[in-house]
Parts: sequence; C-alpha cells; structure tokens
Amino acid sequence: MEIDGEKTILERKQSTYLSLDEKFEIRKETYGGQQYSQIYFTRLHLMRTLLYSLVPNLKPHLPVCKILGLEKGKECIIVGTLYKHMKLKPSILDEYSKTRSVTPLVKPHNFMHLDDHLILEDESGRVKLGGTMLLPSSYITGIVVALHGMETEAGDFFVQDVLDAGLAPQIEFPLESREDKYVVLVSGLSVGSSASNPLQFQLLVDHITGHLGDEKEQAIAAQIVHVIIAGSSVEIPRGLLNGQNLASKDQSRLSEPIKELDIMLTQIAASVPLDIMPGPNDPANYSLPQQPLNRCLFPGSAAYNTFRSCTNPHCFELDNIRFLGTSGQNIDDLQKYSEAKDKLEFMERTLRWRNLGPTAPNTLGCYPFIDRDPFLIDSCPHVYFAGNQDKYETSLLKGTEGQLVRLICIPKFSKTGVAVAFNMRNLECHTLSFGTQFDL
Amino acid sequence: MSNNGSARKRQLPPTKSQQPTPSKVQALGEEEFFDEDVFLDETLIPENDESLILRDIEERQALASCLSQWARPPLSPAYVSQTQSIIFQQLDIDYVIGDSHRELLPNSFGPAAIIRIFGVTREGHSVCCNAHGFEPYFYISCLPGMGPDDISRLHKILEVRMRESNKNSKVPQFVRRIEMVQKRSIMYYQQQKSQPFLKIVVALPTMVASCRGILDRGIQIDGFGMKSFVTYESNVLFALRFMIDCNIVGGNWIEVPVGKYRKTTKLLSYCQLEFDCLYSELVSHCLEGEFSKMAPFRILSFDIECAGRKGHFPEPTHDPVIQVANIVTLQGENQPFIRNVMTLNSCSPIVGVDVMSFDTEREVLLAWRDLIREVDPDIIIGYNICKFDLPYLIERAQTLGIAEFPMLGRIRNSRVRVKDATFSSRQYGTRESKEVTVEGRVQFDLLQAMLRDYKLSSYSLNSVSAHFLSEQKEDVHHSIISDLQNGNSETRRRLAVYCLKDAYLPQRLLDKLMYIFNYVEMARVTGVPISFLLSRGQSIKVLSQLLRKAKQKDLVIPNVKQAGSEQGTYEGATVLEPRAGFYEKPIATLDFASLYPSIMMAYNLCYSSLVTPEDVRRLNLPPECVNKTPSGEIFVKSSLQKGILPEILEELLTARKRAKADLKEAKDPLEKAVLDGRQLALKISANSVYGFTGATVGQLPCLEISSSVTSYGRQMIEHTKKLVEDKFTILGGYEHNAEVIYGDTDSVMVQFGVPSVEEVMKLGREAAEYISGTFIKPIKLEFEKVYYPYLLISKKRYAGLFWTNPEKFDKMDTKGIETVRRDNCLLVKNLVNECLHKLLIDRDIPGAVQYVKNTISDLLMNRMDLSLLVITKGLTKTGDDYEVKAAHVELAERMRKRDAATAPNVGDRVPYVIIKAAKGAKAYEKSEDPIYVLENNIPIDPQYYLENQISKPLLRIFEPILKNASKELLHGSHTRSISISTPSNSGIMKFAKKQLSCIGCKALISKGTLCSHCKGREADLYCKTVSQVAAVEELFQNLWVQCQECQGSLHQDVLCTSRDCPIFYRRKKAQKDMAEAQKQLDRWDF
Repeated sequence: MEIDGEKTILERKQSTYLSLDEKFEIRKETYGGQQYSQIYFTRLHLMRTLLYSLVPNLKPHLPVCKILGLEKGKECIIVGTLYKHMKLKPSILDEYSKTRSVTPLVKPHNFMHLDDHLILEDESGRVKLGGTMLLPSSYITGIVVALHGMETEAGDFFVQDVLDAGLAPQIEFPLESREDKYVVLVSGLSVGSSASNPLQFQLLVDHITGHLGDEKEQAIAAQIVHVIIAGSSVEIPRGLLNGQNLASKDQSRLSEPIKELDIMLTQIAASVPLDIMPGPNDPANYSLPQQPLNRCLFPGSAAYNTFRSCTNPHCFELDNIRFLGTSGQNIDDLQKYSEAKDKLEFMERTLRWRNLGPTAPNTLGCYPFIDRDPFLIDSCPHVYFAGNQDKYETSLLKGTEGQLVRLICIPKFSKTGVAVAFNMRNLECHTLSFGTQFDL
Repeated sequence: MSNNGSARKRQLPPTKSQQPTPSKVQALGEEEFFDEDVFLDETLIPENDESLILRDIEERQALASCLSQWARPPLSPAYVSQTQSIIFQQLDIDYVIGDSHRELLPNSFGPAAIIRIFGVTREGHSVCCNAHGFEPYFYISCLPGMGPDDISRLHKILEVRMRESNKNSKVPQFVRRIEMVQKRSIMYYQQQKSQPFLKIVVALPTMVASCRGILDRGIQIDGFGMKSFVTYESNVLFALRFMIDCNIVGGNWIEVPVGKYRKTTKLLSYCQLEFDCLYSELVSHCLEGEFSKMAPFRILSFDIECAGRKGHFPEPTHDPVIQVANIVTLQGENQPFIRNVMTLNSCSPIVGVDVMSFDTEREVLLAWRDLIREVDPDIIIGYNICKFDLPYLIERAQTLGIAEFPMLGRIRNSRVRVKDATFSSRQYGTRESKEVTVEGRVQFDLLQAMLRDYKLSSYSLNSVSAHFLSEQKEDVHHSIISDLQNGNSETRRRLAVYCLKDAYLPQRLLDKLMYIFNYVEMARVTGVPISFLLSRGQSIKVLSQLLRKAKQKDLVIPNVKQAGSEQGTYEGATVLEPRAGFYEKPIATLDFASLYPSIMMAYNLCYSSLVTPEDVRRLNLPPECVNKTPSGEIFVKSSLQKGILPEILEELLTARKRAKADLKEAKDPLEKAVLDGRQLALKISANSVYGFTGATVGQLPCLEISSSVTSYGRQMIEHTKKLVEDKFTILGGYEHNAEVIYGDTDSVMVQFGVPSVEEVMKLGREAAEYISGTFIKPIKLEFEKVYYPYLLISKKRYAGLFWTNPEKFDKMDTKGIETVRRDNCLLVKNLVNECLHKLLIDRDIPGAVQYVKNTISDLLMNRMDLSLLVITKGLTKTGDDYEVKAAHVELAERMRKRDAATAPNVGDRVPYVIIKAAKGAKAYEKSEDPIYVLENNIPIDPQYYLENQISKPLLRIFEPILKNASKELLHGSHTRSISISTPSNSGIMKFAKKQLSCIGCKALISKGTLCSHCKGREADLYCKTVSQVAAVEELFQNLWVQCQECQGSLHQDVLCTSRDCPIFYRRKKAQKDMAEAQKQLDRWDF
C-alpha cells in the first residue's frame, strides 16, 4: 500500500506470515457424549512424560511413584494433576439451593478462601497435599506438577519441593531481519458499547493506515506490518438475547455494531494485514478455543486477502518470530481463582506450567477434546500476549535455556484509548495512545 | 411404607424361608409391648462347632493380625486383679434366661431371668454386666376381706392354672410368691391414702402376660366366687421394669463397687469386662458433672454392595455381596480411626483406606464378622441397614450355608435373630421392617431416624445428604454395579470408593445432626433404653416417666384394656378465623410458652386429680378445692391432691431451664452438645405428655384430661383476643385500634396498626405482660416476634418476614406453602419461593407478577428446563396391586416393556413428566420417562403443569394481593403464544421427509443456509445462532464440571445417574443440545 505524499512515497514494509492456528481449530470433532476426563488424561499423560524426563537431572536420587504406590515416610516424586478445593467456588447447584439467601449474593471478583487446599490426582487416586512449599493461593486446578515429598502419618503428602516444567524450548530468534517492523496489538474495541468512542477508534485506524500526522509519523506508520485485534471488538446488547423471540427491529439492532466494525476494519485491511480474534463479548462460541468469527459478519473487509479471522488462542509466525496470545479469558480466569502480584506473573506462570489455559475445562469453558490438549505449550513463543486487560503491562521473560519472551498485557482500547506497538527487531514495545477532546 | 426408601435399597420381598433361629413373627405396635424370653442355651451353637470356627480364624492369620490392630485398649492391672470399681456408661439392657447363680443367690434354683447390661468404661473397655436376682412381677388389687389364707389359696390356684397353660415349661415354680402391699391406683381422686394390693412375683418375664391373661378372664376362689381382676403394671417390659426399680435411665453411668462383683467363670460374651453381681448392688449415677459425659463408644458405619442381575433388585438368594465398606469412629472424635473396605476379587489400593480383597464371598462375609468381633462396635449405624444391609448379609450367609456367619452380637456363639416386625403408630404411620437383634450392640439406622424426625421430599441418601450436608452424592445405578465388579481391579476400586462414601455419609449425618447426643439425652430424660427410641413410639417414653414417678408416690398404673375408638374423639385446638390478606404493617405475634404443659400445671390436670361424676356427688367436695374445666370435667386443686403429671412437667421444665442456663455457661463443645441435646429432649418430652393422655389406642388414655387441656387452650386464645381488642383502642388512648387477624393453637397475631417495627415490639411486650397477669401461673403469654410484611392466606398457611429486633429481619418464614411438598415438581417450589422473595423482601408486587408471567410464558413456549418439571413418586407395589391406575405405575410398566434392565422396580422412585397425548387421554397415560422425552423431543403438556401444578399455589399467594389474580396471571396475553416441539419418534414422523429450511424464515430451500430473501440478514441471524450456541456451551461446561466435582475425580468419566440430583436432566439435555447446536452452527460454514 502506498500513501500519496507530495514529496516522497513511503513504502509499507512487508513480512512473511505463517499461521499456526491449526491445533486450535475444531473441525471434525463433534459432541458425541464425551466428557472432560479425556482432556485431563491427555494432559497428564503428555506432561508426565515430560516431567519424568526432567527428574533424573533435578533429583536423581529419588524414586518416582504413583499416588497409590506412596509409602508412609518414604521420600519420592509424584506427578499428577492438581485439584484445588475451593470453598467459595460458585456451583451451578446453588441455583437449586433450598433457601434463597435473604441478602443478595455479592459476586466477588476472586473466589479464594483461607480454607482452600490442594489435592494431587492421577489416574490411580487422590492425595491431599500439605506443607508450606505449595501455596494454594498461587496454584489452580488443572495443572500438572511433579512434587517431591513424602506421605505423612495422617495420609497427606508433605511437599518438600515443586518441580516446574519450566519454559518450553524456543525456536531460534531470527537475526537476519534487523530493521524496525511494528506489529500493532489492540483489544477491547467494544464497538457499540457506551464506553467506546468512535473518534478514538478512527484515530487509531488513521494512524495505522498512515492518514494521520506529518511525514515522520507516517514513516513510522509505514513500518507497521501487521495488526492484531485480540477480542471483544463489539459489544452486542445482551438484553436482546434472553431467549425470547426477537422482533425483526431488534434483530437488526443486534448486528449494528458489527456493521460499524466492518467499516473500520475494511479501512485497515485495505492497507495492512489484519488478524481478528474472537473474545468474550464477540458473536462467537463460548468455549475455548473460540473459533474464527464467521466471515459473513464482515462482508466488507472479508473481501480483502489481508483480512484473517483467527481462533482464540491465536498462534502464528511473522518473519519467523513466534506469536502466541489470547483474548484474555485464560488470564482473567486465573485471577479469579488464584493470586499474583500482577497480570504478567499469571502469564509467566502459564508459560512455566506449559499450559495456556490450565483452568480449562474446570472454570474456563473448553471444548471436550478427546485425544489432545491444544492448550499445551510445546514451543515457547517470542511474544506472548493477553487481550482485554485493565492496563498496559509488559516485561521480558528470560528462560533458563536462553529463551526470551516478550509478555504483553493489551489494555482495553475502549477504556484506555491505548494500543500496543511491538517492534520485531528488538522485542521492545511501546504504547500508542489516542486521546480525544471529549475525554477532557 | 410409601415412597421413601432410598433408591437402591429397599425392603426385600418378604421371604418365607427359614430364619437363622426360630423366632415368632409379632407386631410391635405402639400400644403393646411384649417380652420375649430367650433361653441362653438354645441360642448357642454346639461347642465343637466353635472350635471349628476358631481353627478357621487361625487359617486366616494374616487377616487376624490386620484386624487385631483395631482391638480395644488392653485392660489395666487394676481391672485384671478386680481391685477397682467398674464404672461404665450403659447403652443396652436386655435379659436372658439362665440358671440362677448359685453363689449370689443360694436360695434360688431353676431358670431365672438374668439382666444383661452392656456398656463402655471411660477408658473404652467394653463391659457386660450380668445382674442377678431381679424378678418379674405385677400387681392386682386385693379383694376386700382377703386374708393371708385367701392369698395362699389364690397362689395355689394360680400356680395350677399357670402350669396348665405352660405345659412345656420346666420351671419348678411359676408363681414365686404373692405379697400384700399398700398402694393406690393412679386413676381418679381418692380420699384414702392407700389400699391393699397384691404383688404377684413370677418366675420368668413372659409369665407376666400369661398370668395376666388368667386373671383377666377370671378365676374361681373359694369364698369369693368367680372373680376377674384388673392388673396393674402388667404391661411393663422386664428390662424397663428393672431400670425403673433400680433408678437407671437410658445411657447413664453405672458403678459396681469393688468386691461386689465377681468375674464370670465361663465367659459368655466377647466383652473385655464380664462379671456377675446382684442387681441390688448396682449404683446408678445422676447425670451430673463427670457423669453427664459420654464414654468413647465405638461407632461402626457400614455399607454393602451387591451384584444384582439386570432388571432385578438384588436378592440374597441369588446375588452375591461383593463389597463391604466400614468406617469406625470413636464418639467425640472428628475423624474415623478405621476406614476399610472388603472386596470380592482384587481391588486397587485407595489412599488412607485398608483394602482387603478376598477370592470368595464366604471369606468376605467371615472377614466382616471377624471385623465386628475385633473392633467390637457399641453402635452400628448405616443407611437403611435395618431393612436392607443387615438382613441381606444374614440371608446371604444362610444361602451360602455359612452357619458361623451370623454371630455378630457380643454373646459368644450366639446367632443374631431376624424378625419381621410391623411398627405402627399414629404419629409415624405403619411401617414394615425387619428386626435384627444384635445382642449388646445398638443399631441406629439413619434412614429410620430421618423418616421419624424430618419431613423431606425424598429420603434417598443422596437427597438427605444434599439437604443436610449440602453436597450431592454420586449415584451409581445398580445395573452398572455388576459391570464394575466384572471389570478389573480398577473398576472395582471405583466401586469401593463409592461404597466407602456411602458408609461415611451416615457417620457425617450422625455428627452433623448431633444424633448421638440428642438420642442419649432423650433416653436419659425419659428413662428408656436408647434402642427403644428408634423402634418404638412416643408413648413408652411418657409411660416410663409416669411409672418412675408413680413408684415414688406408691401409685400403681392400671393396665386398661384398649377402649379403642369407643371413647371417641374430642374437640381439638382452636383456630381463630384468619382474615386473609397482605399486611404491610407489622404484625405482632403473641405466643403462649409451652401452652399445654402450662395448662396442665396451672389447673392440676392429672389422672390422680380427676374426680369421677359419681364421686362429685358422693364426696361433696368444697367448690374452692376443685376446678371445673370448660369441657365440664372436675379436677381437684393441687392444695387437695397434687397431680403427678403436673409434677413431671414441672420437673421437666425446671430441668430444661437449668440445662439452658448451663448451656450458656458451658465452654467445651462436647459439653454444649450434651446440654443442648438435653434441653431439646426435655422440651419434646414435656410436649408429648398431653398427647399421651389423648392417644386413644395408647397406654393410659384419659380423654377427660386431653379435652380439658384443649378446652382451656381455646378459652385462652379467645380471652387474649378479647383483651387485646378491648384494651388497645383509640378510646383507651392508643393511636389505633388493635385487631387480631389470626390465632392458632398457642399464638395470636395482632395488628396494632402502627407502622414501625420498634413501636409494635413495644406494644407487643406491653400486651403480653398485661395479659399474662390475668392467667394462673405458670401460663404465660410471651411476645417473641413481628411479621412484617405478612401474607396470610388461610388457616395454617402464611408467609412473612420474621423480625426479632427492630433493625433487621432474621429470615423469611413460611408455613403450609408449597415449598417442600414432595409430589410437586421443582418448578412450583422455585416459582413460589421466587414470588415470595419478590413480594416480601423486595416488596415488588409488579415484579412478582411479571416473573410469574414470564415463567408461564416460558412454560408455554417450551423453554422450560425439563428438570424443573419432573415429578417423582415412589413405586410401592406392582401395577396389578394398585386399585386405581396411577401415572407412575403405568409408566413403570411401559418402561419395563422397553427395557427391563433399567426399568424401575418396586421400591424405586419413579420420575416422570406429563406429556402431550391424544385428546381424551387419561392423566395416567400421559406420564413419560424424562430421559425418553429428552431423547425423542416429545412435547410436554404445558396445560397440565399450568392447571394442575402451578395454578393453585400461585393463586393462593396472589389472591390476597391482586383483585383478579386468576385472570391476570393465568389468562393474560402472555399465555397466547405457545410452541410445541415435534416428536422425533411419533408415527407420522416416520413418513415425513426432512428438508432443509432457511434459518431465517423457515422457508424450504434446496441447499445452503438462507433463502434468497434472507440473504441480507446473514449477520443478524448468525449472531442469534451463535449466541444460543454460546449459552449452551457455557451450561454444558458448568454442569459437567460440577458432576466431576461431585464424583471427586478429574481423570475418570462421570457415571452418576442420580435422578434425585437437580442437574441430572440438565446435564443430559446439555449434551444433546450441544450436538444439535453444533450442527446448526456448521450450516454457516459456507
């Protein structure tokens, strides 16, 4: 794409794109009565093989046991899936509780309680975990860990050490392209919500397409090679979708925000490659992995081959730099059921646990896979992002084997007016803030 | 028994086969008590058999060593050398017939009743105390003019007659002696202090009844002619007689001083301490200080699993016992100290549980018997064990020919006895049950306790634990159990985990509901053995107290023949006609505290103070000494003769006050539990005295008393109403005229007209004090609570917010409203609850109306969650036995035709929904299995639910509030649009050809998704479809995750098929909806 300037013509930079979304796609799978046990089983099986291979290096002197093989007072390593027993965890059975509580339930943003405790489970059985090494507050149901410890008289397992899988191996960071190329990441556009400001969005679009600012700014815009929209692009008036039949007038109201979005996206797609991921508020399915937004929603932009509707989570490579990210549900869910100093720490944990969405299917909606767990991270990305966060945060994570990962929390654009620009040359990133006078 | 058995366990079909030991079938009615003489030597098995069993045990050394680690603590040297008094808490008292003890009773010979007291010492040793020398007896009134010679003549005649009617007995002397004593009958006021009575002492307890029969029918005595006698206290069970005479109450502590007991030479029991003593040497301790505590009983909770054949409920003659899970807890501790499971064939280990696997069923059963013997539990609990588990084990052992199995009691080589028993009582209805007597161990079946103490919509272990422990229990359908057993050690482990949970839940219920404390205290207060509390009705408790009191006063209680219904009924409590309505001003409630007991105390109502009409004329009592009750009876005042019922009541209520005061002081949680149990027991006992006098088929009915009580009660309610309405008036200087809007039995609801809760509370207190002053003590009117707002529907039906302090209401209180009716579907309950919530708490009448309209519209539009529509009824007999065709019975028949393996059997609960059927179909033809309905898209009949289920309860609530409730709610515009799903299996559909239709407008199209007209609305329509899919997905996830949580495993598939669980159908439906939703979504992939 080019921009007609009077003096110079700025050429937009290009990059090679490789989609790795295949594992997040649900194609032939059907709901045929399968349950969630299979996904746990697969996860345990794959992770156990991995963890077993680590034991000889980390704790060569210890035997490896199954939960049933535990003997009182004998130190060993056990591998299993964690289950966190949570007192406050909401249950669908509460709907049927015999007496409605008089005071309405205040929904806490976090369901932790001091009485929460961890249990380790493998296919043979369960054992309650004790000791101070493993804090219930930082762990959640669904991750596979290796524990060093022993069974106590009471039948609990006293944990002395936790063996992390650590960051997965990483493909080599490409050295050849040493020029500034930017990827713009934005999420939470929430077109159609009261919080969204059309002008702000327009400014973003104009910036990306190079219709804004002086030459210098346009030169920077020309370095944008890709745009990622990480979820919650529209907000559909939920009130209309209460299962009652809709009047046709209401029906068209339903898709108005999408039409508006399509217009904006068409402008972007006309100038730069664009990936759109579904998120919590989009017209997409609920369970992760969310499937690409249907192209029929975007009659305008879908005509461009630069427009890609992707899955959530989304994985791809740009010039051999690997990106992995979600629209934020996985991280938000962790925040509800565990705690950390910031969102980046949650993101870091998922990488160390090698699972993008460990709380799926327990608290995070998930498709009941039969023979695979698409959330396992077998290769560490260079960029790892989570959409729809409250504020922009970023850090560079270094792995023990020299892995470098840029973690990015993408803030909600409708709330903050902030998009993130990521430089592929040096893994650095900065924000693009768009203010309008209406905000004053 | 009606529809209240657990889903998997029920009454076995009565077997006519021979029982392990000969026993007679008898009715255990409320009204009649029988002693049953058990002869010691008859129950024992021959000696050589015993050595055979012992050898058998040696062969299984490994098991024995495993079991021995759970044995009771060893005796201290002081116990071994008999230099210590033995103090123990007794739990069970029975008697056995054996030879008189030669050393203790040198003057007696021949067979005699030996009282056996089983108990536990503070250290946890088991005790069996054989008390000798107590003899059965009863009284008759002495004929006037009878001298010592006449008595000895009577003795001889009686002895002859007894010998005639007990030919087989080898007793040397039937009637031991006849003594003349000075006593007085409890019945009617009498001026003279006492009269001569004859105390007839017989050899064996059963002879009391046979002797009574002879005297009832009359005997010929020289000089007196043919005389029949009224007997006194001839219907008191021997063990109870002993307890009363020795001042022993159920569950108290007994001391046998050092030197007064001797070790039994030939041990008869497995108890650690077994000894003989004279009954008169026993010291019964009062329930104070140390002696109010509980000994560390061993409580065994167990559950068995049987491998049934497909389509049949397990029968002991065919189906093996495959697992037995045991949990043993020491009373007072939080965690069980033994957890084990015995399995047939291998079973993978379970963390924290001893898994014992055996190759044959015989070994499993014998291992369980050895466990019982080694662990020596004092109390055996479980869910439905009395009717299912215990009889099953015993009958199974019999089928397998294991003669040595049923020795589960504490008596060596004595087999347990199984009896069929019918328990009938006015309060609890008639129930058939099996009675398994396990000597020395108390059985406590949680199912029986639940049936007795709580009114629940379902009594399956699943729903009971959901109710009390707020957790759902996984329910494995019995048709799967055999498959799990026939799998591998992993699947059997799965079953074992399930079985263990079933064994653990009764223990948790026992703890949660404080059953041990409450029942032991009840036994202590009423003075009956603990085992009576579950197996017998209310009246024995009152009778026990009456007998104890009568004994102190030298009164005797006549054994009156059942008057039956001849005595007729009497007028019950009064209900002031309610002024139905929705009251938006606070309503004060004035309650009489313990009204009936207070009346009996205030007016000295008792058997012994009642004056017969003849006596009224004859005695010419001064009017200031008598009360004439509003029902016309005459009772003397306490100045003349204090009644013993008022005395019992006074003691009970004082004791309750003391217990409550102590409860406030108490700090130790166990002590608190004891005291709380006690005050509760005292309250219940005080309230049951009135009922005892009114039970026409009871022990000692006296309708003069009960009708007087209710007549005074009525008078008081009227009196209160009058006083309130006279005093609290504008004329009397108050702001408004007070109005009594409703009154029932012992409470009066007053609207003072003041809008503030605080003001009303002040007025309420004032009124209570003022009116109490006009009554005779201890009758007292109390002000307790305010209802605000208050919805009064009709007699005994109301709802309101309950305030005890002016700042904040305590709760929502409802009575008689369909919130817990068992034969309603969940929709009714939810709807009523939600409406009341909106009306009373949110004060939002339009909101409630809208909610009802939405729900009805959802129902008509087929958007209702099916699980809300399921109605459940118990199948008590097969279709042919029902006289009237019932929906659930018809359905069970139909299901049997479809698939016999999974169809409900007798005793199961049958869930069904009402479906749309052909016009004119009978109601019973319209029932259908919910699962079948889900799978085949069968339309439900919304009209049925509207008319037969929700309309009545709704109108009841809304009629006081809305003018045209029926029109507004049930016939508004929201009822106009209806939608009915098309069944996928009906006849006509087999011929229909399915064709693609446009998702937007349902027009037929040949391919694609949308018709040409709808093409432009793709985005709209897609949004709609995908949002539906998202909703189903979310539900799917929530439901399945919840079920995983309940089953307690992430890596295993959910097997549960509990139809009592509210989400079972939703889960099934979500699975089906999901598949369908995905298909819909796939159509958009073009």
